[in-house]
Amino acid sequence: MSFSVNRQRSLWWGLSLVVILSGLVAMVLSWASLGSPLRLGLDFIGGTRLQFELACSATQTCSQPIDIDAVRQVLNQQGLGNSSLQIIDQYGVSIRTVPLDVDQRTRLRDTLTQKIGDFDPQKTQIETVGPTLGEEILRSGLLALLVSFIGITIYLTLRFQFDYACFALVALVHDVLLTTGVFAILGLVAGVEIDSLFIVALLTIIGFSVNDTVVIYDRVRETLKLNPDLGIKEVVDQAVVQTLGRSINTTLTTLLPLMTIFIFGGDTLRYFALALIIGFTTGAYSSIFIASTLLAWWRDRQPPRPATNTLETTPTP
Amino acid sequence: MGKYRGWLIAILVLLMAATWVIVRTPARLGLDLRGGAQLTLQVQTTDKVPQITPQVLAAVQGVVQRRIDGLGVAEAVVQTAGDDKLLVQLPGVTDPQQAERILKGTAQLLFAAQKPGTEAQLQIERQLQAQLLLEQAQLLAEQAENANNPEALKEIEAKLEKNRESLEKSQQAIAGLFTPSDLTGAMLREAFASPVAPGSPNWSVIVRFDNQGAELFAQLTKEIAGTGRSLGIFLDDRLISAPTVAVEYAETGIVGGSAEISGGFNAQSANDLAIQLQGGALPVPLEVVENRTVGASLGQDSIRDSLYAGLAGLVLVLIFMVAYYRLPGLIADLALILYAIFTYAAFLLFGVTLTLPGIAGFILSIGMAVDANVLIFERTREELRAGKTLYRAVESGFDRAFASILDSNVTTLIACAALFALGTGFVRGFAVTLAIGIGISMFTALTCSRTFLFYAISIPSLRKPNWFCPKLESFR
Repeated sequence: MSFSVNRQRSLWWGLSLVVILSGLVAMVLSWASLGSPLRLGLDFIGGTRLQFELACSATQTCSQPIDIDAVRQVLNQQGLGNSSLQIIDQYGVSIRTVPLDVDQRTRLRDTLTQKIGDFDPQKTQIETVGPTLGEEILRSGLLALLVSFIGITIYLTLRFQFDYACFALVALVHDVLLTTGVFAILGLVAGVEIDSLFIVALLTIIGFSVNDTVVIYDRVRETLKLNPDLGIKEVVDQAVVQTLGRSINTTLTTLLPLMTIFIFGGDTLRYFALALIIGFTTGAYSSIFIASTLLAWWRDRQPPRPATNTLETTPTP
Repeated sequence: MGKYRGWLIAILVLLMAATWVIVRTPARLGLDLRGGAQLTLQVQTTDKVPQITPQVLAAVQGVVQRRIDGLGVAEAVVQTAGDDKLLVQLPGVTDPQQAERILKGTAQLLFAAQKPGTEAQLQIERQLQAQLLLEQAQLLAEQAENANNPEALKEIEAKLEKNRESLEKSQQAIAGLFTPSDLTGAMLREAFASPVAPGSPNWSVIVRFDNQGAELFAQLTKEIAGTGRSLGIFLDDRLISAPTVAVEYAETGIVGGSAEISGGFNAQSANDLAIQLQGGALPVPLEVVENRTVGASLGQDSIRDSLYAGLAGLVLVLIFMVAYYRLPGLIADLALILYAIFTYAAFLLFGVTLTLPGIAGFILSIGMAVDANVLIFERTREELRAGKTLYRAVESGFDRAFASILDSNVTTLIACAALFALGTGFVRGFAVTLAIGIGISMFTALTCSRTFLFYAISIPSLRKPNWFCPKLESFR
């Protein structure tokens, strides 16, 4: 056996720890500066986002690009001085403010139209999320995360054993922490915000990461049954090597569409795809290098059992 | 290989059915793709209504639904969401200001006495209004039918706009024939449907007022009793009922604070009116807690981008599978294409609304659907290297991979279930599309690939182990 995950397990564990810790540091920093571990988007904290594009941009008859100072001036006049704003492709503008009601919004749009020009209603995007609703989305999202943790642990305990389930859970938490950590860093350095799609991404990552772990565990169980005398480290090493081709290929086939979405897809899905790319990659990593090595380490420390657990169906004749 | 021929035919039939579904069923695009406004309204409690019960919510839903019908938006959707929220979808509405204003206020129930000498005029105006409403219903149906025909749509929309203006005018004309009273919905205690006589198919609506309302009602009915003039019941400035008061009430008016509104109701329409009245009587304010409006062309841009991205991703996966797994890879590709067709057909069949995250889930599931085949083929290769015959290797590839495939899919389904149970709106949409994708991928990977693969190895010229596992000799 040329490749052994267990031989260098302290290296893998250390590597994961370093990345997760730096993510945690980013979360603490972000907590200190933003008041939350990640930069929360409109979906969670509430507010209004308006996106306008000049009506002339389609026919390319605009005489001059939108002047950001003029927009800023309008915002200041209406007491929305601390809003963030961004010019998109010269002729579009995106404004993010505190939650505005219909009248405030209409007033803002009308004033902007007067100062800057007519906007194309076909390209207008308005989002208002009340603060209470945001809290609800966040709470139900975190609850969904917790419930699926519990559900998966129960299922794996039934199909395998409790310690298998625990380490699969460790791998899951690893993936979730790592992905959120990377987004905490991105939030600090690049201003990337998370929205409700981020929670969806985390849950998809959970499902996928457990896939990988289950396939390896399945192999461990099978190898253990065929070679009851083999040490657990060797069994795990063998199982990992035998499933390595599959792990790499599956991760690849899943990453390919995600990469295309990340590169060619619209703005809405870009960071969703990025979260999945990070999560799926670490999911494959944690299954191979964390969940399996932890299992070997744990079982190695246990007093030898009289017989291994047999729960598997008989192999084909 | 008779049994595989049977499966092949079954798969072919399924494919034809799926194609038929795809050709016949128009896709239901979410508002983020077709453009439109989505509002989430939260029903607020007040001193009078300290708790939002399902009845209150249903009443408010009725009022909101009726108001939207007044806006003349085709395919508008009003759903309850959670215990105290309503989700309103208005496709094609790019100016949510108007919608928001109309939806937010409390339904106003108003009683009014008809002005003397306007009997004939009222009849004419009511007939005109009935005609206009009929026309509106027809136009809305046409609009829904011609959803894919932009030219016809423009024409219909112009007609709808005209219709709306005429309706507005006719409503104002009708309102002008009445003198509003001080009796309003705030004084209504309850309204419910009741059969005119026990077991009768004719229904009426009973309304009961509080003390002040009862007094005003008596005054109002006394004024018009026996004159042939009617009592106008207006909801949001629109006349919904105009009963007359019999002459025997001319002395005192209808006392006791209770009245029966009758006239051509069946159980359903009587109940509808009761809910409307009740709703109009409910002084519960609505708050818009969420408002998302996407311009139509923005949605089209994102469809195109995501579609291209999805196709590019799919092509890359197909190429990879053939390059790496050879003949089985080609067969997996076939199964994958079937998977995409079946899944899309299933979305249409179940009426899944395609949203941007939904499409992402679909594309993602294409990548994940390969996993089952990869597991099987890796196993097949191992068995071949261990010296098994081709047939045995393929067979045990499927058998041995099954437990892994099942376990890994069930865990993903658990995450889907959590998303569905606890999420809202598009989060749920994503969960449903992912779950459908997983179910169908199990079918195509286990049944379609299996059938094709065994059919392939039943053909002697395809029975080449090297096409299943390159460089097999070096392992033996």
